[in-house]
Amino acid sequence: MSTRETLRRALGQTLWICPFRPFFLLAATYAVLTMSVWAALLAGFISLPGVAGGPFVWHAHEMLFGFAMAAIIGFLLTAVPEFTGVTPLGRRPLMRLATLWLVGRGAFLLSGVLGIWLAAIADLALLVALIAIAAPPLWRQEPRRHVTFITTLTALALTHAGFWWALATGGEPMRWLRLALGVLMVLIVVALSRISMRIVNDVLFDRDGEARTPYLARPPRRNLAIATITAYSVGEFWQPGNAVNGWLALAAAAAMANLLNDWHIGRALARRWVLVPYAVYVCMAVGYALIGASLLGAAAPVSAGEHLLLAGALGLAVMIVMTIAGGMHSGHGLDERRWVPLAAAALVAAAVVRTTGGWWALPAAFTFSLAAALWVIGWAIFLRFGMRTLLGARPDGRERCDEPPPRD
Amino acid sequence: MTSSIVSPHRRLVEAAAATGRYLWGGMGSLAGLALFLALWEATAQQLGSLILPTPREAFATLAQMLTHGSAWSDLAISARRALAGYALAVLAGSALGLAAGASITASLLSRPIVTLLIGTPPIAWLILALLWFGAGDGTPVFTVFIACFPIVFIGAMQGTRTLDDRLRAVAQAFRLPLGMRLRDVYLPHVVSYLFPGWITALGTAWKVVVMAELLSTSDGVGAALAVSRSQLDTAASMAWIVALVSALLAVEYLLLEPIKRRVEAWREFASSSES
Repeated sequence: MSTRETLRRALGQTLWICPFRPFFLLAATYAVLTMSVWAALLAGFISLPGVAGGPFVWHAHEMLFGFAMAAIIGFLLTAVPEFTGVTPLGRRPLMRLATLWLVGRGAFLLSGVLGIWLAAIADLALLVALIAIAAPPLWRQEPRRHVTFITTLTALALTHAGFWWALATGGEPMRWLRLALGVLMVLIVVALSRISMRIVNDVLFDRDGEARTPYLARPPRRNLAIATITAYSVGEFWQPGNAVNGWLALAAAAAMANLLNDWHIGRALARRWVLVPYAVYVCMAVGYALIGASLLGAAAPVSAGEHLLLAGALGLAVMIVMTIAGGMHSGHGLDERRWVPLAAAALVAAAVVRTTGGWWALPAAFTFSLAAALWVIGWAIFLRFGMRTLLGARPDGRERCDEPPPRD
Repeated sequence: MTSSIVSPHRRLVEAAAATGRYLWGGMGSLAGLALFLALWEATAQQLGSLILPTPREAFATLAQMLTHGSAWSDLAISARRALAGYALAVLAGSALGLAAGASITASLLSRPIVTLLIGTPPIAWLILALLWFGAGDGTPVFTVFIACFPIVFIGAMQGTRTLDDRLRAVAQAFRLPLGMRLRDVYLPHVVSYLFPGWITALGTAWKVVVMAELLSTSDGVGAALAVSRSQLDTAASMAWIVALVSALLAVEYLLLEPIKRRVEAWREFASSSES
């Protein structure tokens, strides 16, 4: 079979055997693509004349509702069947949903031509469709263990609608995107608590056997983190720049640092499946601390801390979730090759460089380009080595989203 | 117990890890503290800084007082008085309380007296102290002593009253030497009652000394608070309050709480071996 034929077969068949596949592919590809465009925009090589709200709004919106959204769709459409036992979506509905995602991206890019209302409808339809698919089985489940996902998705949909409303009425779209950032941080905490209970305990079991006390993602600490993140996000939405929000951001930072107490489990922390989620939380803690310091009068702009939340926490969380879920549900198992820590390190470096950009030592233009390059490198590594879990046939002869058989 | 065969290096690492875990465990409290500061900031923004300065204004004033003003010496003066009264109360309260607990008659007798001492408000003692000692160190030291004494006394008395008779009998049956009996049988139990009393008393000492100084002396934190009040300087007042509370929190969580955990470690061991 020629390469072309293999690719055609993959895109026509194997890409669609489990919901995470097309959407993780879209997320990773878009991470590379949209960041390259953004870097070119910043450098002045190209311009985006037809975009509502201007290039900054486009960049922020596409990172949240393009890149992260694709990953969320892939994760939820795979996780919800696993949580509740319903059948995963088949090839046709997945194709329709992926088309909807693509239409949304195009609609925003052409919003100057299409008109804002048409672009808004095209873009908002995706999240509505996701809720319509994912919410009913989570709601019907007894007991309703995963209902937080419905709440968070609804909040995300409302902030997204608010964003388009602000664009259409001449309001402040960035305010809504900041609110959406808070919702996404909550979603990360919720999703990682589910994933970590499984993965961290697997790592502990491998090391120490059954004698070991299990790792627990304790709800009180998680709820404190969610409450403080929400308080800061709502405060900053309501009265941007107020010093009260600075203290609230510091509270969120301390609550995230407090969440790390769950993770101090000895040497198993050095394993990648534990260390990378841990780094996500560290990025969130430091990011919120920086935001708090900015609002209370420090030199760094708020956007510095925010990029630690975005490129750092969000980027890393998306990558590790895609690596874990991709490995487990493609039959390949957890990927122990060296590219995983390498790609994660590239994203952390991108986040740190971007965070220092423009206020600390190095000139802004240089740091922004370097950060964009590191981000693109990280995702290119993921695409190169993670592709087999997205496009390849299952190596174990099992079907669809099945996990590989237990090792012993 | 297997701890005796663990190498010193290993023990050091474990102690460092435990300290780290303890300090990092305080992150949740820090989150609560930051939420409180947010509430303070919001209230201050509503009322205006003449009525309530914002946290940042209070912190800035405090930093300024610490670098340029006489804040350190005022804090040292207050600390000296508080610690003097506290030390007297700990010595007298512990000794008398332990003694009183040893005899049922003495406990019966001392109970109403202690109730009376606790019931008398510190401000009443302060008035008496002003009459007896005048404006000087004597007044705040005495007031602190008399406010702390009954707290320590009660803890010490309870400690000896609740000693387990069976443990005493076992110790006697095995003819334990007196030193060992005191150190290994009585002390851990008594200390677990004494210590909470000492901690509560320390907080009381710190609060009472400021009150006493406010009305009786010309130096110390209390006197400085009186000055800032008369000048309607709310920022300085808040700065002093922040300094007082921070000092108390620091001593409590960085010094006393870790010690308390150490001396009460046997309880955890005892309760886990029961099950």
